[in-house]
Amino acid sequence: MPFSSRIARRYAQAILRPEEMEWIAGIPYNDAGHGFDPFGMHPDFIATGLATFKALHSKYFRVKSYGTENVPKTGSGILAGNHSGTLPVDGMMLWLDVVINARRVPRPVADHFVPALPYVGVLFSRGGMVGGSRGNVRALLKAGELLMIFPEGTPGIGKPYSEKYKLQDWRVGHAELAIRHQAPVIPVAFIGGEEQMPQIARFDGLGKLLGLPYLPIPASPIPLPVRYHIHYGKPIDLSADYRPEQADDPEIVREAAQRVKDAVQGLIHRGLELREGIFR
Amino acid sequence: MSMGGVLVTGATTPIGERLCRSLLADQEVDHVLAVGPHPPERAMPFAHGERLVYRQMDLSRSRAVHELLFGIARDLGVRVVMHLSMHRSVDAHGSKVHALNVDALRSLLSLSERHPTIERLIFKSYAEVYQVQHNLPALITEDHPLNMAGGAPQWIRDRVEADLTACTRMGLSNLEIMVLRCAEVLAPGTGSQLFDYLSSSVCLRPAGYDPVLNLLSISDVVRALELACKASGVQGVINIPGKDSLPLSECIFRWGRASVPLPEAILSPLYRMRRRLRGAQFSYGMNRRRFHYAAVPDGTRAADLLGYAPEIGIDWPTDKQEDLE
Repeated sequence: MPFSSRIARRYAQAILRPEEMEWIAGIPYNDAGHGFDPFGMHPDFIATGLATFKALHSKYFRVKSYGTENVPKTGSGILAGNHSGTLPVDGMMLWLDVVINARRVPRPVADHFVPALPYVGVLFSRGGMVGGSRGNVRALLKAGELLMIFPEGTPGIGKPYSEKYKLQDWRVGHAELAIRHQAPVIPVAFIGGEEQMPQIARFDGLGKLLGLPYLPIPASPIPLPVRYHIHYGKPIDLSADYRPEQADDPEIVREAAQRVKDAVQGLIHRGLELREGIFR
Repeated sequence: MSMGGVLVTGATTPIGERLCRSLLADQEVDHVLAVGPHPPERAMPFAHGERLVYRQMDLSRSRAVHELLFGIARDLGVRVVMHLSMHRSVDAHGSKVHALNVDALRSLLSLSERHPTIERLIFKSYAEVYQVQHNLPALITEDHPLNMAGGAPQWIRDRVEADLTACTRMGLSNLEIMVLRCAEVLAPGTGSQLFDYLSSSVCLRPAGYDPVLNLLSISDVVRALELACKASGVQGVINIPGKDSLPLSECIFRWGRASVPLPEAILSPLYRMRRRLRGAQFSYGMNRRRFHYAAVPDGTRAADLLGYAPEIGIDWPTDKQEDLE
């Protein structure tokens, strides 16, 4: 067994329950040799991630999830959700929530700058993250993986507090790939992320110097212990309405992406109505 | 069914020699015409019968290539040309090096197109021709961008040019052309940059990065070349991945070396100094991107067209130690 995964496994064994370790050891994935998949994911590091951040999910943010049964148990799929919160904590909570409650390891698709970040890029890739290139996404969908995509991208988490819960420019790549690979899209809404770390200012130039899209100035130095509510909507089966070759039609792709956006916006409205308070 | 004769260039390299042995073991191959730069008494150090013919030759001379193809190759009924010849040293540069790396292939292609017996040309290319970048896919398919950087060393530039030279001739004549972009073969004498890097007892790597590499064994690359040799009717570019995909740190660990992450800024001067003082081959500048971002060749097309799947992994020194214990 590789040296680093030996350390990772021992650490996870000390924190996780035996049945959790057993489940992680049996996760189906594309082992490209030495326990790593071609993108660098390794089950021992998934166990480490779960062991390290489980308490954030259950104790700190006290995540409540609704409609987990809508997450497909097998086969390819795309979880498409709203993005918020200055730091992408919502992505981490979604990853943990799907691992804990749906018993699948989703593959977060990150913006191009994330794999280039030292340490962060490596740690995230061990947990399943891939850079947001078309080739990576195509390979994962063909392999029957469940992807996590935030079609708003970085502008979603970088928006000012005054625009909370308003979906930003909704990119269409996820819809195109879903049509091409006939994968269902599961709309996801995060409630709570907007209040975790309200952004009061941002410095674009300074961020670019650091290899980031911008440098945020949040009102709170650490994320506040808001309660996260994650709503999974009914899967949108684009294959019922569109053939794979229609993925080349920009109008069709925009129409499909709009359907996903409307579904996410609907879930956000419902989630906000159901919420009793920011910390409850 | 007889395959006729096979011409192998670069036959005295570790891969070329193993390929010649394998082809000779195949009774369907009538003759193996092996070509290398060494005199016959130093080449092909194994028993062979009349089916192997060796010629010492400088392929950078187009006249020599012409005489080879329209001389003994025609007489032996060579049907397949397997071009493996390429300068391996990163220090080799200049027009003479370019003549072997690129012009020799150009001559082989144009002569083979009008040759009476040659039907196919297989060029062993390199996965190093691909561009590695954080915003490009980590799983590299054959349509991945190539490294066309102007500042790239001749070692890379020649490989890209040779690869493209072969690609541009595809479909222009009856000659079937196949370009096999092989993952790095981690073995001595193959020109492997990583092999030289791992020869140090301490391996320095950029702090904060640990990309996945894909490595190919000599056994697998020879098997892929043999499959290509027999795949009549198939042409195009095909990736040949290896069985070992692992992060750089694990690679260093499995080779029994110490891995020391250091800030990016000092790695290049340190390895430049190592090259000057020890005459080492590893160039950090040339490998900088692949020491940051994952790059794994996708073998789907090789599986579909050649029936190739990697089978034999690298002979890791630490595995041998564990076996002894």
